[in-house]
Amino acid sequence: MNVLGELALWIALPVSLWGMVLGFAGGRKQRGDLTLSAERSVYAVFFLTIIASLGVVDAFLNDRFEYWYVANYSSRNLATYFKVSGLWAGQRGSLLFWLLLLSLFATIAVWSNRRKNREFMPYVAGTLLTITSFFLVVLLFADVNPFETLGFTPADGAGLNPQLQNYWMTIHPPTLYLGFTAFTIPFAFAVAALLNGRLDSRWIVLTRKWTLLSWFFLANGIIFGMRWAYEELGWGGYWFWDPVENASLLPWLTATAFLHSIQIQENRGMLKVWNMGLVILTFLLTIFATFLTRSGLIESVHTFAQELKIAFIFLGFMASILMAGLVLVLYRLPKLKSENQIESFVSREAAFVFNNLILLGATFAVMWGTLLPLISEGFTGQEITVGPPFFNRVNLPIGLALLALMGIGPVIAWRRASKKNLKKNFLWPLVVGVVTAAGLWAAGARHGMALLTFGISAFVMAIIVVEFWKGTRARARIEGEGVVKAFYHLVARNRRRWGGYIVHVGVVFVFTAFAAAPWYGEFLQTLEPGETMTAESPLGHTYEMTYEGISTNIRDPDKNLQWQATALVSVRRDGEPLGTFTTEKRRYIRPEAQIVTEVGIKSFPMEDLYIILADADLDRILQGDAGGQAVTFNVLVKPLIAWIWAGGLIITLGSLISMWPSAGAVRAPTAARGRGTTGAEPLPAGD
Amino acid sequence: MKQNGRFMVGLVGVAAVVTYLVWTGVSDTMVYYLTPSELIAKIDEDPTFREVGVKVSGRLVVDSHEQTPGSLEHHFVVHDLEDESVTFPVVYRRPLPDTFTDSPEMVVDVVLEGRFNDAGVFEAQTVLTKCGSRYEATPEELRT
Repeated sequence: MNVLGELALWIALPVSLWGMVLGFAGGRKQRGDLTLSAERSVYAVFFLTIIASLGVVDAFLNDRFEYWYVANYSSRNLATYFKVSGLWAGQRGSLLFWLLLLSLFATIAVWSNRRKNREFMPYVAGTLLTITSFFLVVLLFADVNPFETLGFTPADGAGLNPQLQNYWMTIHPPTLYLGFTAFTIPFAFAVAALLNGRLDSRWIVLTRKWTLLSWFFLANGIIFGMRWAYEELGWGGYWFWDPVENASLLPWLTATAFLHSIQIQENRGMLKVWNMGLVILTFLLTIFATFLTRSGLIESVHTFAQELKIAFIFLGFMASILMAGLVLVLYRLPKLKSENQIESFVSREAAFVFNNLILLGATFAVMWGTLLPLISEGFTGQEITVGPPFFNRVNLPIGLALLALMGIGPVIAWRRASKKNLKKNFLWPLVVGVVTAAGLWAAGARHGMALLTFGISAFVMAIIVVEFWKGTRARARIEGEGVVKAFYHLVARNRRRWGGYIVHVGVVFVFTAFAAAPWYGEFLQTLEPGETMTAESPLGHTYEMTYEGISTNIRDPDKNLQWQATALVSVRRDGEPLGTFTTEKRRYIRPEAQIVTEVGIKSFPMEDLYIILADADLDRILQGDAGGQAVTFNVLVKPLIAWIWAGGLIITLGSLISMWPSAGAVRAPTAARGRGTTGAEPLPAGD
Repeated sequence: MKQNGRFMVGLVGVAAVVTYLVWTGVSDTMVYYLTPSELIAKIDEDPTFREVGVKVSGRLVVDSHEQTPGSLEHHFVVHDLEDESVTFPVVYRRPLPDTFTDSPEMVVDVVLEGRFNDAGVFEAQTVLTKCGSRYEATPEELRT
């Protein structure tokens, strides 16, 4: 199986390269037979990649430590599901896994268009195979072959990094990778549109669902990563502006911009060059994120390898894509003319354009902060870094502007909003926002930026609620339906719109949760068994933590444990017992030497209690020395943490509603609605 | 470009605001990232640099870590990655990260943020350990 796996990669490369050539040739010469061969190459590459991936998984499951990759990321006693997740635990497997997901999506895109949209497909297949070829070249020639052998067979592997032995870690990377790879499909269609000259909104309509799918996975992947950091890293944070976190945020920011700007192109025939730019940029950022996640280019707690060769290969590929994209857009510039223009800054177009510009501004700021160490070192020889204070400070005003636009954009009138329109839509929500902020101020909240965030959040929520209510009421009246039925039909009939609103509600939850950060409380105290410490929450609750003692569990090979020291803490909230919590230090048998902390978390709707075993004299505790049981706890009280996860679920719900296929509702392309097909080549029959 | 007039105005406006935010953000929050040798050279050159907050990467000197009993006060010494003779003492008054282990088998690279106090001890505000390539063993290590 393993030999077959590597062989599959070696076969996949020529198949992919040949298919790429056939695809572009088929498009150029309008030869259906060549196109068909290219499409079959896509299927073949997918099939071969499955075999290669199974080869890696098989090697993990059977403890084939003669392979460098398995020896470094697994050990005999590792749980089976962590062995399977070994496929994406390190750089080598991740690259193969990326290729697997990409070829899966490529296959779905090609298969679902096998009888339609034929004018796009040769170039789509060619573009997709260019990207698969690139990843195959990397896997086979950049010293990252997952099938590389050591030349001997170690008795056991080095084991998986204990911080990766967490449920969220098994699903966070695949989710992000699904997001990264899904965006390749809109990119491929955009390139195809540039090549075949069909530069109306057709390519956007065809890939709208793919864009949403990619966005959905990116958003979830980022939130899963936050959840992992919160539960596993043991310092109570969920976002550290670490280079790898930033790398996953960048394509999400530009994909969000793209998701909104394509609506302007669909509705008003504007921003065509801009959209091409965004689709290329987002694709490049997904490649950049893939590369950064698993390379040591910028120091980070996430990066696990330090090869420069692969850095140059990736940068070279990204530069080529950028150049090719620029040349194509310049070549097609005459066909990418805007059909309309912005008539007023007080209009939906303008709101969307500002949303885009601000998102791009955030992308730029985050990228600048992330790359600053490299840039400063390159230009001045002096390495300069910026940390969370920089990112928070820059992104706070940007985030607030975005939040406000999120409320304004969807309801303001197209072209030019009248005073009446503004008053009708925004007066009451504005009142709600101001009252909310004032109410919280009266209740004792004294943090200006946070109050502003809460106020704007309430403003946006009011707008969305009013929209839902108006729509439901109108429907109930016209169709004579009950409120619940009317609401259901309202959402079901225009899923894209109402699903979008629901996503916005989720985003409001997440932003509101972020704004609670000034109220995070920290209580650090050393306790002897039997002693109690207290923590006051900003919402007026009192937590009393009594340290009951510490128990040890030494040498438990079934759990891969070298030892485990578990502190028991019984907690009372306002005098009411909440039960006993545990927080522990443990060391695994494999990999050796590193200690990890597991925290105790109690989550309430309005705040989280987070108990960390911060410091303990482990030598004495493990020897059973009863006198050495004093330990230090770090207790954090964090308001609104649950709102982040709730917001994530709402975002998921909203995007699923937006993406849900509606039966028989295949919308006519924009051209059919009379908004300028700017000179597309004649379509082959059967479109 | 005339037809895109308003778009351009918006673009320039947003770009100006973001540039301003990034510019002031960097100049107010930037931190020099130095090696111990660079830091000591800079201080020799300009003694006031002692008080500037910096980020330093170094390696823990084996067996140098001591914890004041009954408190969270940690003392340890770091040396330059390339020149082991360049060292300086560090004090840190918070729980150390789990990956900070002082043992002869382990190489612990640390990134410190903080500044020197009057006694010439580096007062660290944060201590991060670099996991880096730790988890990728060399074939020789796997042989054991």
